[in-house]
Amino acid sequence: MKAVVKTQGLTKQYGDIVAVDHVELEVFEGEIFGLLGPNGAGKTTTIRLLTGQTKPTSGVAIVANRDIIHESTKAKERIGVVPEVSNLYDEMSAWDNLIFAAQLYGVPRNERDRRAKELLELFGLYKRRKDHVGSFSKGMKRRLTIATALIHKPDILFLDEPTTGLDVQSSRTIRNLMKELNEGGTTVFLTTHYIEEADQLCQRVAMINQGKIVAVDNPEKLKAAIEELHVIEVSFSPSGDFWDRLRGLKYVSNISLVGDKFRLHVEDASEVIPLLIDFSKENNLRIVSINTLKPSLEDAFVKITGLSPEVMATEKEPIKREKGGSVG
Amino acid sequence: MEVLVRTWMESITKAFYIAKKDAKVYYFKAPNFTYGLLMPVSLFLAFSISGQINSNLIVSGLTSLVILFGTTSIEAVAVVLERQTGTLDRLLVAPVSFFTLILGKALAGLFFGLVLATAILVPLSIISGTGVANPLLALATIASSSLTFSGLGALVSVYAEWVPEAQMLSNFLRLPMAFLSGTFVPLEFMPFQLRVVARFLPLTYSVEALRISMSDSAITATYWLDILVLAMFSFAFFVIAAKVLQKKIE
Repeated sequence: MKAVVKTQGLTKQYGDIVAVDHVELEVFEGEIFGLLGPNGAGKTTTIRLLTGQTKPTSGVAIVANRDIIHESTKAKERIGVVPEVSNLYDEMSAWDNLIFAAQLYGVPRNERDRRAKELLELFGLYKRRKDHVGSFSKGMKRRLTIATALIHKPDILFLDEPTTGLDVQSSRTIRNLMKELNEGGTTVFLTTHYIEEADQLCQRVAMINQGKIVAVDNPEKLKAAIEELHVIEVSFSPSGDFWDRLRGLKYVSNISLVGDKFRLHVEDASEVIPLLIDFSKENNLRIVSINTLKPSLEDAFVKITGLSPEVMATEKEPIKREKGGSVG
Repeated sequence: MEVLVRTWMESITKAFYIAKKDAKVYYFKAPNFTYGLLMPVSLFLAFSISGQINSNLIVSGLTSLVILFGTTSIEAVAVVLERQTGTLDRLLVAPVSFFTLILGKALAGLFFGLVLATAILVPLSIISGTGVANPLLALATIASSSLTFSGLGALVSVYAEWVPEAQMLSNFLRLPMAFLSGTFVPLEFMPFQLRVVARFLPLTYSVEALRISMSDSAITATYWLDILVLAMFSFAFFVIAAKVLQKKIE
């Protein structure tokens, strides 16, 4: 398989802080590749490095067969970038935003209108093409941002946290669009802190923590690698905060709460189930449900990074951006 | 050679598209016209009333000041605003060099300066009866001046982190320039030291070239030298602004 993104020792340092630490990655043509990690892990910096928005402190990144540092303009012609926060011109219409993007990417004049129309129809925005983007919802803006990133038919589409901050319906639409684009031959590189998103969408996932890649493989292999780990999901009635008491049980290595169910990572399920029955009796609780599960990608992530799943659930502080006005 | 020419043509075309977008998004708004005209007109009226200014100098001086204030007011915040709204990233991920980006920003200033200067020069020259002896040369002066001051504004804009800082910086540069460039007081009436200082300020060349192009006398080498110096200032501002922006991004 042909690698369309390849990095060697890619490092970015801001003063004493190492945001990206000797990252080695290979993304193959035609795949959906996910960079999974908590907020602050270095995902956005990695994407900024790969798209030529910032220069690495050291290391090399080859993107679309071009050195992103020394042949930045040439590489940029072959990639599309969707940032975490939509960066469209609110004062311009959807149509004008697309045409401006087409002009910047050198799309021939006779193709611009056709391509813009195609994309607006594909993304369900054609009827709103004349409206100022400032009047669009977050989901519509995200769709239009993706459309502008596709105007020049890039080989690779980079998306930074594509569904963060979107409602369920918009997130689903965006995920379906990514799948469709990938089926059409576009290589997709996305960052996410949603484990489920990485599991559902990506053919391969790299886990990143504190700027370092800690694992790269397809989701199923990552799960299989920790199959010796057993997971028990249990819920009690009446429900309550039994976190600390459950953590104290023998053989329990990690614990998380999913809805009203406690998910216990244990060394041996057969040893722990009797302990849970004893626990419920001692605390006058009734076991509502108890299941043993196959490890999920979340379990793999917890095992590999040593982070709790709650860290991944933490949303980023929203980025505040000022609007431009008249000046003096 | 052919590849180089094609690359340059592509860069200039993209700069033109950036300029067109900037004109639409930032420049051609009523408050910007008002500010571009208001400040220099107020300064000039204050000096005219005190009788310290020759009425023949008003048209050329005021036009140059309008270009300076009009273009830098918006140009000085253009990159800052794009950075704050996140749209600068849209330009940075596109296959556009830093120089093209700055050139595009400055070209928008050039269009704005042309419109603003024409709006003040035509009626003023008719009302005052001074006329414009060489309209084409006057136009060339306005274009060169607009490009130079836009370049200056772009430099301020890439350096500043936020809008008030950009405004303060541009006033720090504009106000002394307005007084020391022979706008209100002709250079020949200024002390030698100030005349030396004036020669380091682009507004001096703008005022001088505009006065020559408006007068009936023959066009001298001074005019062409003024235009050449303005072109050199423009190029220097663009290159430095592009380098500062690149450094900041990296």
